[in-house]
Amino acid sequence: MDTKIVKKQQPKYINPYFGGILLGLLLLAAFFIAGRGLSASGAVKLLVVTVVDKVAPAHAEGNAYYSKFIPADGSSPLYNWLIFGAIGTFFGGMLSGAIFGRLKKLRVEHSPKISARTRLIAAGAGGILFGIGSQFGRGCSSGAALSGTASLSFGGLIVMALMFGIGYVFAWFFRKLWI
Amino acid sequence: MKEELFISGRNIPNVDPYLNIWHWQIPIYLYLGGLAAGIMFFAGYFTIMRKEKDMETTVKWAPFLVPGALVVGLFALFLDLKHQLYFWRLYTTIRLESPMSWGAWTLMLVTPLSFIWVASYMKELFPKWDWKFNILNKAEALAIKYRKSMAWAMMLLAVVLGVYTGILLSAFNARPLWNTSVLGILFLTSGLSTGLAASMWMSKSKYERKVLSRLDLIMIGIELFLIIHMLMGFLAASEVQIEAAHLFLGGEFTVVFWVFVIILGLVFPATLEVLELKGFHIPVWIPALLILIGGLVFRFVMVEAGQITRFLY
Repeated sequence: MDTKIVKKQQPKYINPYFGGILLGLLLLAAFFIAGRGLSASGAVKLLVVTVVDKVAPAHAEGNAYYSKFIPADGSSPLYNWLIFGAIGTFFGGMLSGAIFGRLKKLRVEHSPKISARTRLIAAGAGGILFGIGSQFGRGCSSGAALSGTASLSFGGLIVMALMFGIGYVFAWFFRKLWI
Repeated sequence: MKEELFISGRNIPNVDPYLNIWHWQIPIYLYLGGLAAGIMFFAGYFTIMRKEKDMETTVKWAPFLVPGALVVGLFALFLDLKHQLYFWRLYTTIRLESPMSWGAWTLMLVTPLSFIWVASYMKELFPKWDWKFNILNKAEALAIKYRKSMAWAMMLLAVVLGVYTGILLSAFNARPLWNTSVLGILFLTSGLSTGLAASMWMSKSKYERKVLSRLDLIMIGIELFLIIHMLMGFLAASEVQIEAAHLFLGGEFTVVFWVFVIILGLVFPATLEVLELKGFHIPVWIPALLILIGGLVFRFVMVEAGQITRFLY
């Protein structure tokens, strides 16, 4: 194997500040092209709504929360820009992983001090809390914090400040999961 | 005076305003037929080119999928029939002007051939395999002896099968979206591409995957060319064909066609294949799976959208 290929296969990450600028430009492009910002939790929410609507349509339509996301024209809740945004993010991430040598065998990334199982349990618990919180906050770090702040929404600013501020504080308590 | 309001409309589900009589069975069958054709074509091709050792999965292992794909596909077709007990009557006649007759007879030849091809490799791939009956051992020896002739037959019949899956639709004059001569060759190319993807996924040899990947890139290029050509042809034709093209250019099927067929089913896997050929590490199953799903969605979209297009309004 020549050295060029070996070099290509080393995982590579860009400078986080540069990454932040790129993310901002991506957000701008999303507003410009799609007229909407970025979102992540919204796609999961629509997936949940679709499953509930399929399994128990009467319950979904009668529920104040689910019914908001069921289109009146009878089309699927999945037929939404949020879903296509999520699909794009998934495949875009995959392409980035391929180019920068991070696309390897399916694996669980975790600190050497914890097992893969602990990592999965912690990620699952964190994900559930994040999912609940994002719905109370009307969006997650992408939908509310990034897109909200970019459109100068006051709610977005609060989400941004509290989400990352509290995250910073709580990181200390759970630091052993990582370092 | 008592007023009454009458509203009349055309709403007979699956009949009017759109005659929708082909459901999931047909695209599944067209897809599996194309996939089988693709695998058989390249198994035959590399046998004729004496590359059985270098392209072992394509020639020996991937064809194991073919009998299964054909049987499942034919069963789906059988489920679609209204008078199922009369299917055998297709084999009481040969009608050269009927694509269905061509298809029925091609499948009658292709399906047993695919079984014989697989059977001829059983002992080589599974050394403990025993046919138990002497007559079967003799039949196997005969199949091995005439393997090259079978390879030629397989290549030829695979082309007929692949083209037929498209012509089955394009022969419908009353459906403007289907009624294009591009469809036969387009479905064949798509079938070859999905066949290559399946072989590529199964292969463990780097050399083999590289060869298949290169061939697949050519197929994807041809497919994109044909799709553009088909849409341009529609847009330059009569009003009904222009309307048919608009189903993919802003109409009902735009998103599913461009996102799942063109981008995720062709362009994105092609990009990954190019990256892999350039030395980047790409798990082979990702482009292969995307191509296979893209091909399946393409059949569903074409069958569904085609039934909406018509001459009379």
